[in-house]
Amino acid sequence: MYLSLNWVKEWLKLPKDLNPHDLANALTMSTVEVEEIIDQSKNLDKIVVGKIKELSAHPQADRLQVCQVDLGETTEQIVCGGSNLSKGMLVAVAKVGSQVKWHGQGELVTLETVKIRGIESNGMIAASSEIGLGDLFPSTDEKEILDLTHFHFKVGQNLSTALDLNDIIIDIDNKSINHRPDLWGQYGLARELAAIYRLKLNSYTVKDLPDPKSEIKLKAEVEAKDKCYRYLTVALKNVTVAPSPWWLKNKLKAVGIRSINNIVDVTNYVMYELGQPMHAFDAQAVVGHQLRVISAKKGDKFVTLDGVKRRLTEDCLMIADSEKYLAVAGVMGGQNSEINSATKDIILEVANFKASSIRKASTVIALRSESSSRFEKSLDPRLTELALQKAVELILNLNEEAYLASAVVDIDNNPFAKLTLEVPEDLINARFGQIIPTKDIKDILTRLQFGVEYKKKIFTISVPSFRATKDISIPEDIVEEVARCYGYDNLTPSLPQVALRQPILDVEHDAAKSVRFYLALSQGYNEVYTYPFANMLWAEKLDLKVSQHLKMTNTLTQDLAYLNLSLLPNLLARAEENLRFFKNFKIFELERTFDKSKKSAFATDANQDKFLPLQNKHLSGLEVSATSSERAFLQMKGTLQSLQHLWQIDWTWEKIELVHSQVAFQLKNQGLILGTCGIFNDAILADNKFKVKIAWWDFDFSTVLKYISQNKFYQSLSKFPSINRDLAILIDKNILWEDLEKELKKVSPLLIKVEPFDVFTGTGIPDGKKSLAFHLEFKSTDKTLESEDADNLLAEIKQLLNSKFSAILRQ
Amino acid sequence: MENKLKSLRNLIERELQEIKDSGKLEELKNKYLGRKGELNQILKGLKDLAESERPRLGQLANEVKEELAVLFAKSEKVWSSKGQAEDLDPSLPGIKNEVGTLHPSTLVQYEIESAFSQMGFAVYDGPQLESDYYNFTALNIPADHPARDTQDTFWLEGNNLLRTHTSNLQVRMLQKYGAPFRGIFPGRVSRYESTDASHDHTFFQLEGLMVDKDITIGNLIATMKALLSAVFKREVDVRLRPGFFPFVEPGFEMDIKCLVCEGKGCSVCKQSGWVELMPCGMVHPKVLEAGNIDSKIYSGFAFGLGLTRMVMMKYRIDDIRLLESGDLRFLKQF
Repeated sequence: MYLSLNWVKEWLKLPKDLNPHDLANALTMSTVEVEEIIDQSKNLDKIVVGKIKELSAHPQADRLQVCQVDLGETTEQIVCGGSNLSKGMLVAVAKVGSQVKWHGQGELVTLETVKIRGIESNGMIAASSEIGLGDLFPSTDEKEILDLTHFHFKVGQNLSTALDLNDIIIDIDNKSINHRPDLWGQYGLARELAAIYRLKLNSYTVKDLPDPKSEIKLKAEVEAKDKCYRYLTVALKNVTVAPSPWWLKNKLKAVGIRSINNIVDVTNYVMYELGQPMHAFDAQAVVGHQLRVISAKKGDKFVTLDGVKRRLTEDCLMIADSEKYLAVAGVMGGQNSEINSATKDIILEVANFKASSIRKASTVIALRSESSSRFEKSLDPRLTELALQKAVELILNLNEEAYLASAVVDIDNNPFAKLTLEVPEDLINARFGQIIPTKDIKDILTRLQFGVEYKKKIFTISVPSFRATKDISIPEDIVEEVARCYGYDNLTPSLPQVALRQPILDVEHDAAKSVRFYLALSQGYNEVYTYPFANMLWAEKLDLKVSQHLKMTNTLTQDLAYLNLSLLPNLLARAEENLRFFKNFKIFELERTFDKSKKSAFATDANQDKFLPLQNKHLSGLEVSATSSERAFLQMKGTLQSLQHLWQIDWTWEKIELVHSQVAFQLKNQGLILGTCGIFNDAILADNKFKVKIAWWDFDFSTVLKYISQNKFYQSLSKFPSINRDLAILIDKNILWEDLEKELKKVSPLLIKVEPFDVFTGTGIPDGKKSLAFHLEFKSTDKTLESEDADNLLAEIKQLLNSKFSAILRQ
Repeated sequence: MENKLKSLRNLIERELQEIKDSGKLEELKNKYLGRKGELNQILKGLKDLAESERPRLGQLANEVKEELAVLFAKSEKVWSSKGQAEDLDPSLPGIKNEVGTLHPSTLVQYEIESAFSQMGFAVYDGPQLESDYYNFTALNIPADHPARDTQDTFWLEGNNLLRTHTSNLQVRMLQKYGAPFRGIFPGRVSRYESTDASHDHTFFQLEGLMVDKDITIGNLIATMKALLSAVFKREVDVRLRPGFFPFVEPGFEMDIKCLVCEGKGCSVCKQSGWVELMPCGMVHPKVLEAGNIDSKIYSGFAFGLGLTRMVMMKYRIDDIRLLESGDLRFLKQF
């Protein structure tokens, strides 16, 4: 939204010495956010009106001419390629040092004196688009120079002065006036500035409508009463559709609007001045001169002014005649009733529609317009009368032959009653945190045009209609009005004085923090975050069902189509990318996953009867290493055993078969699955030129939390020394360590530890065998073992290894 | 003579520290302590001294002589042991243990959490996949409210959504814990927007909510000033200006005085001296009521800190997409 300082000056006198930056700052601190200050004349700096005195052909170039241009005080020689140059023509001359856009495109460049094919040129005779005036002076040919001859400007004067382009424009962030329907027009902004600067605001004046001739029998009917709060319409005859006068074009330019013709421009002018959208129909296109406000039929199609065919639903409120749709109410008119150069009679519509209805329709047909973005803020229905009067006044001014050809049809369903709020003075001071003098409160509210009465420490406030549609509805809204104008800078901050309370034990937060630090700082893992959206290519490779993934309903791209059922697909995708730079690495992520097939404990609303899909946190990791499968698995197993120690959970390892993994285990505790792990098949990577193995693991962290134990107790240190022995044996290669260990442990309770330290096959080892070396530790809890005791047990163990496993002792 | 002795001692001490091989040591010993060495040259002067001075300076000369003998003996010990040691190149790079890293968002989140928890704000967590009700309706943003436009939403089957802000937990937490309440909710949010170096569709926020009796706008400013000073580890200045968010009334934008130029105006603050930091406000009575809190008795403030933006500010990260890239060349730097 642009605020034009020239425009608001019609109703108030801004202080003479007011710096635009101070004004922007004042607006920012008490009302809205300012994005930019635009100084129109700055864009036309060093650009002046010139007159072509002489014109001659360029000796070296067919398409260029050498001009002697009168600039008032000096005459400059300028080489120009314009197609419409003529002697005596008034042109816009960009002098050396000014900034222009070559051919109206790209970045601004600063002009210098140059030689063009050997002839010196001091400046440029500009086309309109080259000096940012393309919208005011559209050209058909890119070689066409801006011809100012018909303006009869004085030669040498600044173009900004000549064209009256000396406005200061404040660009206001639209988001910051979402709640202020009254600030979507220049008059509303003037009112706000008057309140901030304590200025007198002239009232908005319009002429009474002239008496109409009853030549057109205009009828209007509102069927959708709950969606149309006010409908005003009137017919005019004998207009002459023509370009708008300069002052009108200029005003519209200030607020960023392109001029179209003297009818459409008036409707836009009124919208930008009062904030009230309106529409003009070609009366000839309105069958029976009858306008109806109805809901569309689902599936109907309609071509809007921009030439796009829109598919309608019942949510679209329409303007129709007795036969056809004419406009999408409050959003955009139709091509079928557009004002065109042949239009003679017009019907003006000024209406007020329900905000949510306009918003819905504009969403349904995917069309936001200046009109719909104003209606959806809840405009004041009373604005319509002023707007209609103003529009008629302007159209009659611009069309001498035109006259009012019907009475005004007015359908009034305004649901907004007069709003009065009772606001205790204590509430204002209590929320603010400091006493604001009563007279200041009164003064602020009065400046903002609220009616104020004060009795027994209670303000009775009548809200002006332009603030009463939604914006101001509760006493807290009044607190804001007072506080923002009093100034937050005038407030002395103070810390809240509140009672101590019980500390809160948060097992999940603590566990998440400790496992993150543990994996990163003791296990060599890098923490990653991936997106919540599933990589379905990897999900498929991991045999995850598409049907169990939650689907997005409004996304267009494949990579945003489903939510993660598991963290592993995205981790794998990231791992694959990292393989370009690293061969050995470990990554983990702790985040939520989403399961369509199960419900969570999170209710969808306060009724507590419907629940959101399951979204447990998972803790998942990958270890990528260029090594053997066994080593890769054992490294990962080591990580998980460290986690067992951290969490004090004694889970069991149950082997399972998965299509994507050469080996996989389920980690179970008390019958519940806490997690799974494994080594992926080598073929899971399409291109595995470094022959890496990828070990993976995945915990349902929400389930793990239930078993994390805080009960870690110290065990007393043994008073008796242990005896250590090593053994190396040759055994069948298929014998598993766990089977061997189980048998050995049976030999004696004195054998407290059996631990392998070398497993070897290959050179020197017979086929089908492996060499296995391990430590044995003997210890008693009640006496010091003798060397003999250990030797006896060792003999027994050797015997067992031989008989049970046909092991051969190695030296 | 006294001065000569002392300066000789200091000179020798210095030169001994600078020698690089045992040959040099031998050279110095001859130069200073040899029969024709400098020490003896000085001592020859003793006989020319006055009778009364002789005992004192004689004693000093002996002390210096002994001291130098000890210094030389120590240096000889150092240099004689060198030959027996293994070859060693201490200029080779150190051998590091393979240690991993935490994600920068995690680091900053925990840092901010600890500042808040010192002021009694507990950390809470809740759903990322959220219902329309808790993300919008309960926050005074009904279905056709224009404010929904500013938060383009990822919608899911079942009319649920990915939360667009951590404010989704305001009403959940009030319903669960009631008043008084003091908590923060860090977490990930998503907006259906196109991505570039400064926008991503998924990022971190940190919501804060305090509800108690007599909570004021002045309390909000003071609390945030204290917390932000802790987070930035220096005294910071903040200011409030009006901002519109349907779930607060009044609503504010909080700016922080530019930390780069101290408010004088620079390119970071676009010459204004202030940098927009976060939206905040006094909790709207409708939100309190949705949380079953009596808005006649209680009031509160809420704020939404852009955690990802804090991460980018802290580490000067110029492309937001790096954060979710999983690129180890990036992650290993933290």
